[in-house]
Amino acid sequence: MQNLKVDIVVMGSGGAGLTAAVTALDYGASVACFEKRPFQAGSVSNCAIGVTAVKNDPRYQAAAFNSIFNYTNYNGDPGVIKAWINNTWRILPFMDKVGAKYKLRAELPLEKVGKGEAGGFPPQTRIGDAYYMIGRGKGHGSAIVALQSRRYFEAHGGQFFVDTPIVDIFTEGGKVCGVLAKHNKTGEEYKVECKAVIVASGGFGNDREMIKKYIGHNYTDNNCSNGGDVLFNFFPTETMTGDGHKLCWKLGGAKGGMGINGHNLVPGPGIIGNTPWIAYDETRVMEEQPYFWVNKNGERFVDESQSSNHMAMGTSIARQPGKMGYIIYDDDTREYLETHGPDFEYFIFQAEHLHDIKGQFERLAKLGNEHAFMTDTLEELADKAGIDKEGLLKNVARYNYYCDQGRDGDFSKDPKFMRPVRKGPFYALRVFNAGYSTVGGIKVNGRMEVINDDGKPIPGLYSAGDCMVGELWGNPPVGGIGNYSHALGFGFTAADSACEYIGIKEEEL
Amino acid sequence: MKLEIKDYCVRCGMCEDLYPEVFHLNVPEDRIDIKYDEIPPELEEKALGAIADCAVGAIFKK
Ligand SMILES: Cc1cc2nc3c(=O)[nH]c(=O)nc-3n(C[C@H](O)[C@H](O)[C@H](O)COP(=O)(O)OP(=O)(O)OC[C@H]3O[C@@H](n4cnc5c(N)ncnc54)[C@H](O)[C@@H]3O)c2cc1C
Ligand code: SF4
Repeated sequence: MQNLKVDIVVMGSGGAGLTAAVTALDYGASVACFEKRPFQAGSVSNCAIGVTAVKNDPRYQAAAFNSIFNYTNYNGDPGVIKAWINNTWRILPFMDKVGAKYKLRAELPLEKVGKGEAGGFPPQTRIGDAYYMIGRGKGHGSAIVALQSRRYFEAHGGQFFVDTPIVDIFTEGGKVCGVLAKHNKTGEEYKVECKAVIVASGGFGNDREMIKKYIGHNYTDNNCSNGGDVLFNFFPTETMTGDGHKLCWKLGGAKGGMGINGHNLVPGPGIIGNTPWIAYDETRVMEEQPYFWVNKNGERFVDESQSSNHMAMGTSIARQPGKMGYIIYDDDTREYLETHGPDFEYFIFQAEHLHDIKGQFERLAKLGNEHAFMTDTLEELADKAGIDKEGLLKNVARYNYYCDQGRDGDFSKDPKFMRPVRKGPFYALRVFNAGYSTVGGIKVNGRMEVINDDGKPIPGLYSAGDCMVGELWGNPPVGGIGNYSHALGFGFTAADSACEYIGIKEEEL
Repeated sequence: MKLEIKDYCVRCGMCEDLYPEVFHLNVPEDRIDIKYDEIPPELEEKALGAIADCAVGAIFKK
């Protein structure tokens, strides 16, 4: 057993944890950061290509606040929404400080706040300037931000422990007074005396019971092999077992809104690799396209031109019978895609080319993927894919009629995306709602203080990142997202509040 | 040529996506496996590619 004494302990070294750790250190606190995996970075190891930052200007901040609060139907926590928005400008100087590089991708004029293209998310969430973090080699920039943050933290006297999860948080007289951490391999224990703990342990995407109990979905793996209905495990998420949630709740913290950071995804082998941004397979791009989507009754259920709004597609798929949808093309559309190129291309899942869609479907079949279908007739397609035949034929006829009329009588989809389904062979992909991770669960106020059911803070206990981000979106979180910008914004806020609490930073009004 | 991977590798698995002949993302052990103790000459170019491409510069020649 090793005994340590610091001012602040940080649980987790993802975007939220490392930002909080570095910020608290710079205020002059002594800080120890414990990470469960053998390295830093958390979820950003697998992505986070870009980040949103709202200008440090009250006009922009107010417009952004109004857009998000309105989007949540006034159900999100206004303090939490402000904490995020009003702290995002700090992201850029933070990156400068730790030595990470970024580049402006798109500046957002004031009149466009809450409107326009939001890169996979609803327009109301497009509230700030979009930046790319500049990566190394073929990697993504946030991995570098995490590494640089860790280096900065260690170089400035922070104590960083990998492979050493926090297993308990202690209180004395109701106030946080310490933690217990235990090395995964050696079993060595660390008893740490501290004044405050910042819980930044991410989601619970790998805890099936929690997913069922709090989100109501059945977890399934990458191949959908256990017949579940929400894919979680398509990127390594072993450590995401809601450890921080459980400890906060044990100490009397209230449960906050919980949901899925969702999007549409075809399961099974051959669709995506480890790293979503490396062009891996054309089928991943085909599932972005805005043509003809139905449920297993053969009914359309959404304006398909939302297909690049991943969260919307994920949520609408989850509402369908069997929590699944189908994307169907005919051979004319195959030819169109191969010659003209895709209509939609999500900047993360880029294809270098779409040149052999038939070949791709054959390859998927060889790999044992059970979610891609290619048949000569629509009747066969319905049989093979498990779609109600009568429903499919009826709705294809209806859709084809709308295509001929140039007017979508069901969803008013933009006519330019109305492509009929007539000429075989026909292609179908079965698509599910997939979770990058979970959203929320720890209830906090706008100071990132973990609060109990009466809304009173547990002194010394703070939380930031995916584990509390549900508070932004209400309960249940309306189309919740947990992203890198949130993780950083909340990380700053949690560090500010913890340093005020321990008396090394003056409280701001 | 021998390769080593520094402990700060973020296990993104990109090296496996790009150079599956050389790397394997070992998910249960949460590490990257290098498939050869001594990289065969015909794969050296790929190994050098991985050193250049790695997300955090964690792959080195030993
Ligand atoms: C595949 C994927 C793609 C994404 N793409 C984007 C994108 O393009 N843009 C974007 O903005 N966002 C993206 N996100 C979301 C974004 O990465 C996350 O919202 C954000 O990084 C969450 O940060 P966090 O610090 O809250 O949690 P995490 O980064 O998940 O960090 C939590 C850390 O806590 C550790 N931990 C868990 N339990 C313990 C314990 N008991 N003790 C100590 N440590 C513990 C975990 O190991 C982990 O390292 C993506 C997420 C995923 C998974
Ligand atoms: S690309 Fe680099 S950081 Fe990613 S898994 Fe390979 S060695 Fe690790």
